[in-house]
Amino acid sequence: MPLWANPRLGLLILLVALIALFTALRPAFMDVTLTLVPLQSDVSVYAVVGLAQLAVLSLGHMNMAVGRMAAMSAFAMGLAYDRLGVSLVTGLLIGLLVGTLLGALAGLVISRTGVNSFVVTLAMDFALVGLITILYTRFTDGVAFGGLPAGMDALRNDTFADYCTGDVCGPEISLVVPLALVAVLAVGVLFRFSRLGREILMTGANGRAAELSGIPVRSRVVQAHALSGLLAGFAGFLLAANNGAFSASIGDAFLLPSFLGPVLGGTLLAGGAVSVLGTVLGAGLTQVIYKGLNLLQFQLDQLNLYIGLVLLAALSLDRVRHVVADRKGARV
Amino acid sequence: MSTGTTTAGRTGSGGRFGRVTVRPEFTLAVLAVAGFVALAVATDGNLLTRGTLDAFFRFLAVPIVIGLAQMVVLAIGQMNLSVGTLTGLCAMVAAWLMLEAGLPAPLAVLAALGVGLAAGLVNGLLVVITRINGFVVTLATMTIIEGLRYGVNGPDTFQGYSQGLRDLGTASVLGLPVVFVFALAVAALVALFFGRTVAGRQLLATGGSPFAARLSGVSNDRSIVIAHGLSGLLAGVAAVITVAASGSVNSSIGDDLMLPSFAAPIIGGVALTGGVVSVAGTCLAAFLVRLVDVMQAQFDINPRWIDLIVGAVVLGAVLLGTVRQKLSKGSP
Repeated sequence: MPLWANPRLGLLILLVALIALFTALRPAFMDVTLTLVPLQSDVSVYAVVGLAQLAVLSLGHMNMAVGRMAAMSAFAMGLAYDRLGVSLVTGLLIGLLVGTLLGALAGLVISRTGVNSFVVTLAMDFALVGLITILYTRFTDGVAFGGLPAGMDALRNDTFADYCTGDVCGPEISLVVPLALVAVLAVGVLFRFSRLGREILMTGANGRAAELSGIPVRSRVVQAHALSGLLAGFAGFLLAANNGAFSASIGDAFLLPSFLGPVLGGTLLAGGAVSVLGTVLGAGLTQVIYKGLNLLQFQLDQLNLYIGLVLLAALSLDRVRHVVADRKGARV
Repeated sequence: MSTGTTTAGRTGSGGRFGRVTVRPEFTLAVLAVAGFVALAVATDGNLLTRGTLDAFFRFLAVPIVIGLAQMVVLAIGQMNLSVGTLTGLCAMVAAWLMLEAGLPAPLAVLAALGVGLAAGLVNGLLVVITRINGFVVTLATMTIIEGLRYGVNGPDTFQGYSQGLRDLGTASVLGLPVVFVFALAVAALVALFFGRTVAGRQLLATGGSPFAARLSGVSNDRSIVIAHGLSGLLAGVAAVITVAASGSVNSSIGDDLMLPSFAAPIIGGVALTGGVVSVAGTCLAAFLVRLVDVMQAQFDINPRWIDLIVGAVVLGAVLLGTVRQKLSKGSP
């Protein structure tokens, strides 16, 4: 593939151009504490949300319950911290387990019955949205858990600049960034180098051929959905850390961004190919647009108009690139 | 409602009348009647009082039409994520035209339908021209329309528009609300479209097998544009009903319609893969969901249980459909 036909490059150029544009219009865009640090936290959350969707897009499936899986995980974490008083890490693991199990359940239903993943996860979303509200009203006073573990505050407010050894302090990078980075790297390695990841992609590219090649297709489907649930749960944790509360509203706004990131990044809905880096760039682009237009004092609801237009423009450009590349006889 | 499942390319074996009882519509109809009777008995006949019955059917109109709006794109194997927000936009435009532009109600109604149709056609043309997956295109246009919908009147509510239109929204004919009769008429027209017109049959052919359709001289591109245009038009119809029946509209209209728009056709036996539609099934499924809604109101159940139940019902209906398919395949 020639360099100019790489969608990631176009995305990167667009990202840099937008940052330059917003900085020129509003110098406050470069303000570290007001803009850049919150932006990092947002990008971290939504990059992981995008990866949660990407995990099943690799199969050509969808996860419409990505937000609700995050909410259920966050509920489990909140409950563990509040009632059991567990440590930060233990609670996180409990929550991730819940997310993984929910994802695996969806995958199990899909692989056993052969019902479209869209329907199964949509039904699951319906079911969970009811369950979550019921659970929160039963186990909390209002909408959020009161008890938070030690370290949660640091995750929310601190950057590495707050930690110094002698005179040397860290950069102004939010503490959630490395956490998200671990997830990104892990998913990247999984799909690029591991046998499991490659087999999931093959299942997505052509399930029949994969089966004939001896790949256990059914369990790969379950595993990809479990991964999606795991990442959704992790995104829920990151958002809860950013918000400083485990509340029922976590995951409400996950569905749209979960598709925006991967699709902008060049991941196809057809399955068989994923772009982890593209997903991160796509999530970054979306959040930069939100932040920038927000600074330009656009109403939050109106921002959607521009996000949608950018999405359409980016996708159309991508299409043009493909057509041109085809004409030139390049292999894309 | 005599039109049952309409299929293209898949003619069932066996006698026409012998198969009536195994049709999904038959099961749904039995369920609907049984549910209605059970609820009437359980509420000591309260369901059958004039006011309750009137409200029951009045608020059934929008779910029916919005389900049909989704069904027509499912017919070609695509999805329209923008139906909900488009309904909201059309409703806002109609109210704006009446209140701010001073247009008479009939013109405003026509304009709302026009906006819906135009937005639908844009969806279709975008899918055809860019060759991007319909899911992604409508995801983008949904986001854009969300912004536009908010742009009409910001966070404020429109109320006090045309008395005539609002009277029509609360009027009854033969004991049934006018809006409900109107929705049934629309459903009959949609059934007629798929059952009797060339364009409708071609739509199903495209959905059943695009390749075979092309070989038979059907323009798949035209089918796609028609299906999306019709979907937009039906969203406009749902908007008109909303404006008439609710008496006030704001920018949150349509937010809660996207998931039900899928629930009705899916429970009604419409395949996501395209080529199969069921107008009667969609209407009956909307009826069932409404029944669950009313049950919640009558027994003062936490409304959140309803989402849980609907989710379970959707999944159950789909599983049942799969089992049925397997059985009919097993005994040709």
